[in-house]
Amino acid sequence: MFPTPIQKQSMAAQVSYQALLPLALIMWLLPLIAVALFSIRPLADFTNGNYWGMPSSFEFFENYGKVFFESDMPRYLWNSVLITVPTVIGAVALSCMTGFALGIYRFRGNLLIFFMFIAGNFVPFQILMVPVRDLTVSIGLYDTKLGLVLFHVAFQTGFCTLFMRNFIRALPHELIEAARVEGVAEWRIFWFVVLPLMRPAIAALSVLIFTFIWNDYFWAVVLTQGPGAQPVTAGITSFNSQFVAQYHLMSAGSIVAALPPVAMFFLMQRHFIAGLTLGAVK
Amino acid sequence: MAGVQLNGIVKAYGAVQVVHGIDLEVNEQEFVVLVGPSGCGKSTTLRMIAGLEEISDGDLTIDGRRVNRVAPKDRDVAMVFQNYALYPHLNVAENIAFGLRIRKESKEVIASSVEEVGNILGLTPYLERRPADLSGGQRQRVAMGRAIVRRPKVFLFDEPLSNLDAKLRTQMRAEIKRLHKRLGVTSIYVTHDQVEAMTLADRIVVMNDGKIEQVGSPMDLFLNPANTFVAGFLGSPPMNMVAAQITSGGDAPVAEFGGQRLTLAPLPSLQNAVGKNVILGIRPEFVRIADDSAADSVKVEVDLTETLGSEALIHASLNGEPFVIRTETVGQMNVLDGISGFTIAPNLIRVFDAETGVALPGQVTEQ
Repeated sequence: MFPTPIQKQSMAAQVSYQALLPLALIMWLLPLIAVALFSIRPLADFTNGNYWGMPSSFEFFENYGKVFFESDMPRYLWNSVLITVPTVIGAVALSCMTGFALGIYRFRGNLLIFFMFIAGNFVPFQILMVPVRDLTVSIGLYDTKLGLVLFHVAFQTGFCTLFMRNFIRALPHELIEAARVEGVAEWRIFWFVVLPLMRPAIAALSVLIFTFIWNDYFWAVVLTQGPGAQPVTAGITSFNSQFVAQYHLMSAGSIVAALPPVAMFFLMQRHFIAGLTLGAVK
Repeated sequence: MAGVQLNGIVKAYGAVQVVHGIDLEVNEQEFVVLVGPSGCGKSTTLRMIAGLEEISDGDLTIDGRRVNRVAPKDRDVAMVFQNYALYPHLNVAENIAFGLRIRKESKEVIASSVEEVGNILGLTPYLERRPADLSGGQRQRVAMGRAIVRRPKVFLFDEPLSNLDAKLRTQMRAEIKRLHKRLGVTSIYVTHDQVEAMTLADRIVVMNDGKIEQVGSPMDLFLNPANTFVAGFLGSPPMNMVAAQITSGGDAPVAEFGGQRLTLAPLPSLQNAVGKNVILGIRPEFVRIADDSAADSVKVEVDLTETLGSEALIHASLNGEPFVIRTETVGQMNVLDGISGFTIAPNLIRVFDAETGVALPGQVTEQ
């Protein structure tokens, strides 16, 4: 078996593995640890240059209280919810249908359309920044949650279609044929036969897309401004005012913003891992 | 209930033609089995009847109505698939009722139909279970239940028993036969297993390479195969084939092979074929074992004797070609080891043209 389990390797390998693993972990988590530490310091520590030493006082409740009750953070969080949830529903619902069409029906251009969905994923989104911003401005959706949702749905549907089409392809085709012979209309086959069997894929994809969209910063900054529409990832920067950067609050806000996807991951871990491997291995 | 007619049915994938013009008439209430080696086009033909494959050319009529361009759902046929194709998210009762539910039948009708089908197929104790919790045989029964609950015009079976173990297969075979007797629905059944074909069919259609080789009742095909393909395909073990030449005609035409001779039936087609190279088809069952002393015995060299209980298979060689004899064991175990030859009645030898493989005309063995 490869790789050889660590328990079966030489003593030296085991010792160095056990010494290096925690080290690597700490290095990997260092930025997070720093943010977590920053979030419980008082502002004075930053002005005095005490970034890495012991906090001069322990301000956990003070900082997080301010984030929740004296800033726009709750609004930003709510914006995130209002952007993420419709996007997940929209992208997953659309891709269920595109996946069904591309996975079940043989028609001319099927592969071409499928490849176009995939190819969309390879477009670096940075080059879309200016045209998409111009587009949203000209149709009056700039700085609205709807604009962000529409763009996310459009952009995510490519990946979701790839995922769903491959999943549906792997379903036994006889199920669809059996339903056809039984006299079931095509849309009913989709609704009563295929959709119930897609539940694991829908769960996995929803979790995946939820994290993608919640964590999006780029489009949030490009397409929205201010607490009216901006999601939490972009909203955190509002703690950076013109004259003072409130690092302690920004850190606390970041932790709060990061919690939903992390919680999502731990709650739905099974689906998450399934989602990462589902499309890959047929 | 209705008949099915195939007139010059052709299936082509692009330039590649896989079914070359099938003509077949399946009568009302008849059980017809399409049999042939894999890739012979039998499944494709069945799928064209079901409407799952487009018909490239020819006419398909079900119950007098041309259905070439009719969607499968409007053909009123039911199909049982090899891998059962049960909906995994529905339990047995829901699987059976699915077609009725889609047709918006009333709850009472659905409940009574499911109950009836459950009784017929012995599924009543399992109605609440999911397909994953059923054995292969039970799944197969559910698949059949789903087919019969709608009372369709035609049943189509696509190798329904090939995923079952041997014992269950025999059992389900009998159940399918019983079901057909009881319901009397026109049935078309595809299999590569000639035993299934022999036991189930009213008529067998032997297919090879996208064409029909022969159509007939099981016994007719067994006794009077039209060509060497059918002769070799039906029967287990298959018919022995011996290359020979007809050397004399007259009242008792004679075929010679490797210095030995067999007397053939006095038919004009054989009497007039002196000098012709032929293939003698000899069923392992029709042979009588004999020792060298008999005047008309054919000598063979025995390699191996397989005793199967009530009968034995003697693997021998004749002219360097394998030759199998099937014989009863009871009362003759002591002679089985010393077999050196056999005799056969002239009218049980089937003579084929060596070039075309087609049986010479006029040979009919009565059942």
